[in-house]
Amino acid sequence: MSASPKIIELRKILAERFPQEKGTHLFTPTGWPPLDSLLGGGLPKGSITQLIVPNISAGGAIILHEIIEAMHKHSQCVALIDGKNSFEPSIDYPLLLWIRCHTATQALKATDLVLRDSNLPFNILDFKQNPDIELRKIPGTTWYRFQRITEENKSTLLTITRHPIVSSAQINISLTHQLLIDDLTSFRSEIVKHFSLEIIRRRSQLKYRYA
Amino acid sequence: MSSRQLSLNVMLEDRWSDLVSSPVFEETFANIPAALLDQNGIHVIELNPPAERAGIRPGSSTSQAIARAPELVLHTRALLHEQHLQTTLLQLAYSYSPFIENSAPGICTLDVKKTRNQQSGVRKLLTQLRAIGLKAQAGTGPNPEIALQAAKIADPILEISHDCNLLQSLSLESLGPSPFLLDILKSWGVHTLGALARLPRDEIGQRLGLEGLSLWERAAGRSTKALQFVQPSETFEESIDFEQRLETLEPLLFILRRFLERLSLRTEAVYLLIAELHLNLILENGEKIGRSLQIPAPTRDVDILYGIAVQYLETLQTTAPVISFHLEIKPSKPHGHQFDLFQGKLRDPNRFFHTLARLAALVGTEQVGIPQPINTHRPDSLQIQMPEFDWSWHGVQTKRRPKVGPGLRRYRPGIIANVELIDDKPVSVQSSLIAGKILEVRGPWNLSGNWWDHTRWEIREWDVVLENGGIYRLAQSLGQWEVVGVYD
Repeated sequence: MSASPKIIELRKILAERFPQEKGTHLFTPTGWPPLDSLLGGGLPKGSITQLIVPNISAGGAIILHEIIEAMHKHSQCVALIDGKNSFEPSIDYPLLLWIRCHTATQALKATDLVLRDSNLPFNILDFKQNPDIELRKIPGTTWYRFQRITEENKSTLLTITRHPIVSSAQINISLTHQLLIDDLTSFRSEIVKHFSLEIIRRRSQLKYRYA
Repeated sequence: MSSRQLSLNVMLEDRWSDLVSSPVFEETFANIPAALLDQNGIHVIELNPPAERAGIRPGSSTSQAIARAPELVLHTRALLHEQHLQTTLLQLAYSYSPFIENSAPGICTLDVKKTRNQQSGVRKLLTQLRAIGLKAQAGTGPNPEIALQAAKIADPILEISHDCNLLQSLSLESLGPSPFLLDILKSWGVHTLGALARLPRDEIGQRLGLEGLSLWERAAGRSTKALQFVQPSETFEESIDFEQRLETLEPLLFILRRFLERLSLRTEAVYLLIAELHLNLILENGEKIGRSLQIPAPTRDVDILYGIAVQYLETLQTTAPVISFHLEIKPSKPHGHQFDLFQGKLRDPNRFFHTLARLAALVGTEQVGIPQPINTHRPDSLQIQMPEFDWSWHGVQTKRRPKVGPGLRRYRPGIIANVELIDDKPVSVQSSLIAGKILEVRGPWNLSGNWWDHTRWEIREWDVVLENGGIYRLAQSLGQWEVVGVYD
């Protein structure tokens, strides 16, 4: 049965007034255009997305800041599980729940708690600064458990790592860039223009569900 | 059955009802004789049916009672606990009718002249009492005296009209006459209310005086006693003195849950929510432990309240066993908030704050929250603030600053390094994290502050590029070099 004209009209008005909410039943828009356009609307809801940043100074923190600021701009809360307590807030982040962990184990426990809580729809797990030896010890079952929780709660988890370690990620994105010292005095908008974000693996929803 | 009753009397079955309310105890005490002693622990004041069958009578001494039933379970009367039960009874009754009388311990009389749906209201009241472990029975009648007599024989509800003969067969003891008067009446062959009511009123007055007259009027259902209306106190508390000291958490949690169930029901009766829990424990060595637990989103949900209290109690370490537990709640009016279409408040604030507490236990209290800058230029100066209850993503505005340069990932604490300088510029660095030749350098950036007091600080910062491609920030303070972060 088709929707009534009034419903269609209401949808149209809402879509015009809240363009960032378009398709929110499938995606969690980060509000940062380069990432949203790459993923076709935002990070997929109910799944894990892995951002791989292999270089030491590649711009991973820029993306982290951009996403958090964009979420603030759209009045959305974010949980940041900081694997090595390395985040440096550059401005006020009144809607950021910052969890400062010191080890990967601690961060995984914190992630588990935050995901199960399900109050925050968007969560970031930052493992960029954690040593590889710590991350290699994380059993694959942990990531599959997180996948099940996000799927159940319809929440979104973005992980930032140097290497692909999240076996249950639906989408793996790679950022290959090398910052230069001159970038320290450049506007971020200019730095971001040189970023090359690439989807290196995307699982279909069906494959992902039975992974 | 009359169309409209005037008075409703609700009485707790006995003081046992609280003790035997849980299924376990109910089953246990169904077959084991048990007795309640006065507060001095000398005389029996109430019994359960097995104890009565064993031949024990109220007023017996403890030794007499044990002699008749060696397996007798004895409990000492707890007056404070009974007061809380009476308050509970009044508060629940008040939700049914605003005109209530605190008639006697365990007895409450309600004026229900203007109350509709009497039957369903009374059943609901008894169900509420039963839900918190109190067995009660209710009687309705045209005046308080008849209602009281009806309540005594009700199972659990009895409705009596003025001309009902049901009460006529009740014994005189049900009116509680003085022993002297009772003896006289029994010597006359008067054993029931009906027999007394059939005697001429004036003759009774002449022979037995005012007391006899009052007894006759009560027996005849002509008592004109006016109710003394009271308003129940608005304190919501429960307490218990344990007969045996508690050394483990489980018994305390059992009591805690029962207290919460009662308090939840009491607050529901007055349309309030629970906003704060005050837990007080008295230890065997006299030490008192008190803690107030704020409920982020006031609620009456026992599971949520229980979870919050348990979270505290599980982490509590006491120096001695617990001998007394007191729980008081602070009620509040319901908060009203409406979820927006796309923005809103936390879906389940209580769960969220429960999670926050667990996160704080995991990583530390100062490690979870919202980062807030401190009014200083000193690097890495910030404080962490826990979100408020109404933490929401509605109408938040952040300060907009020009976004320049990449973000810094900071090492906390900084990594001590040895830095080689040529012409006052770093050329190589050695540390546990990074080592090597410096390819490019920017700086120094001099920072200082608090020069006017003993907290003075001064830092020189350098941005350097190493051979691994990483851009790091080095800082020199008081002659000590540190790698403080990496740009990313």
